[in-house]
Amino acid sequence: MKETVGITALVPPELIYACGKRPMDVNNVVPESSLSPGSKLCAWTAIWRDMILNGGLDIDSLVVVAGGDCHNALVDGQKVELSGMATHYFFYPFDRDTDYLRSQLEKLTRFLGGIKDERMFSLISDLKLKGRALDELRVNDRARASDVFSALISFSDMAGDPDVFEKMLNSVPETDVEYSSRVALIGVPPIYPDFHETAESFGLHVVYDELPYEFLRLGGSDLDSLARSYRDYSFAGPIKNRVELIKNELQRRRVDGVIHYTQFACHHTLEDEIFREHLDYPILTVQGDLPRPSPEQLKLRLEAFAEMMEVMP
Amino acid sequence: MNIGLDVGSTTAKVLHMEEGEIVFSKVVPSHRWIELIDDGLDDINIVSTGYFRKKVPHFAAITEITTASLGAKYHDPDAQVIVDIGGQDTKVIDLSNNTFVINDKCSAGTGAFLELAAHYFDIPVGSLGELHSKATKGAQINNTCGVFAISEMISQLVGGFSMEEVIYGLHQAFALRIAQMVPPADTVMLIGGTVQNTGIVDAVSNVLDSKIEVPGTPQLVNALGAALYRERLNDGR
Ligand code: SF4
Repeated sequence: MKETVGITALVPPELIYACGKRPMDVNNVVPESSLSPGSKLCAWTAIWRDMILNGGLDIDSLVVVAGGDCHNALVDGQKVELSGMATHYFFYPFDRDTDYLRSQLEKLTRFLGGIKDERMFSLISDLKLKGRALDELRVNDRARASDVFSALISFSDMAGDPDVFEKMLNSVPETDVEYSSRVALIGVPPIYPDFHETAESFGLHVVYDELPYEFLRLGGSDLDSLARSYRDYSFAGPIKNRVELIKNELQRRRVDGVIHYTQFACHHTLEDEIFREHLDYPILTVQGDLPRPSPEQLKLRLEAFAEMMEVMP
Repeated sequence: MNIGLDVGSTTAKVLHMEEGEIVFSKVVPSHRWIELIDDGLDDINIVSTGYFRKKVPHFAAITEITTASLGAKYHDPDAQVIVDIGGQDTKVIDLSNNTFVINDKCSAGTGAFLELAAHYFDIPVGSLGELHSKATKGAQINNTCGVFAISEMISQLVGGFSMEEVIYGLHQAFALRIAQMVPPADTVMLIGGTVQNTGIVDAVSNVLDSKIEVPGTPQLVNALGAALYRERLNDGR
């Protein structure tokens, strides 16, 4: 049985697989969790932290993405380390310095015991191409956003098994989608497991999931090319680059409106004003806290947003 | 006949329109909403809105964001920003940017906050406006959390402020809370049952730089918007 490496945000999964280990994105269990965390700011980190501390997550080590991403994860990750878990801290460079990121990838490789199977790089790359094709399918109204989102969000760890994951990708049904408006979902992913289904029930077709799309980074076949590819991971870099990237995607995907999901106690919430200033689209900002089925407050907002775009364009 | 039925958390309202004219309206407490449709009205004429919009008879059910936008435009075609102060939530709609925000997490800035204060003084909520107008200065109330505001109110009363001054201060705190949600605009339209309280209108006018508009029957704007939406459906728009 391969050793399982927990990851708290995007860590090149191809590298973890190439080192002979299986990644597990510890966030992926959070939306379905009913755990009430002890001390908490953001529920994402508090829940994976408590799950690891309670032995509810079967991992052998943890890679905490700290620099350029999330300080809540940095603190909660240290609580996990203090409990005795082998823990490594991975830092993205805010200034996109490729050499710095390469040195981070080298350190990570050492923590993971060295590269053992280079074939994993191309295998994962092929899967990502499939992910991009799926993403295009929903842009062209040929797949439900809820199905595509479930597939794309798993690209951070390929569901722990590339073979099983490939079957999952192949099973996403192709179908004509009917809707009243096309929307983009920007920000961190919603903590509500049925968010996309709820949006669909009000005629909103999510044609862009900002963060999961970031997972589909191509071109990683060794540490140098990985560094070049992952230095552009937009969530860890300057917001102005992110805004440009989002603008291009909004145009390319012909969206009618933007939903900005924010998480209670997350610093990304502060970005709302920047998006509102720079994105020339109707914007709905919603906030979640604990994982649960979409609450009535969210449904009212989504329904009203859908009406607003349809009735008063 | 085009009928708008707005069943909210505290009151239910109905409004009938014929050929673009308002011909009838009525307001009852929410739990008596059935009285508004008991003369055998056909569901096909009704567009419902409000918190209970999907629980009452309707041909179509739409949110208060849409009805407020349509109703406000009927009163003022140039309306830009609408503030709908309801019993349990407050909504701010910016028509120029097609965006809205809803405060439904706490009672601050909603009718429930004023109900709580009126209950403490053992006076009808409808008398708050008149008492406000009798004050020449206000007691400072910093808290907009309903529970903490009451204890702050009590300490101001103990400190020597009159009931009128405390109510004035309460309205001011309420208006400051609402103002945080309102974008800059030339004109802001206030709607919703709570706006019948002239103290609130006065306080919001003091706090915002914008010109404040209040339609004649602010509590009926959403029912009006629902009736207008029914009319649109007839027109196939
Ligand atoms: S939602 Fe924000 S605070 Fe929570 S884990 Fe993600 S980045 Fe960190």
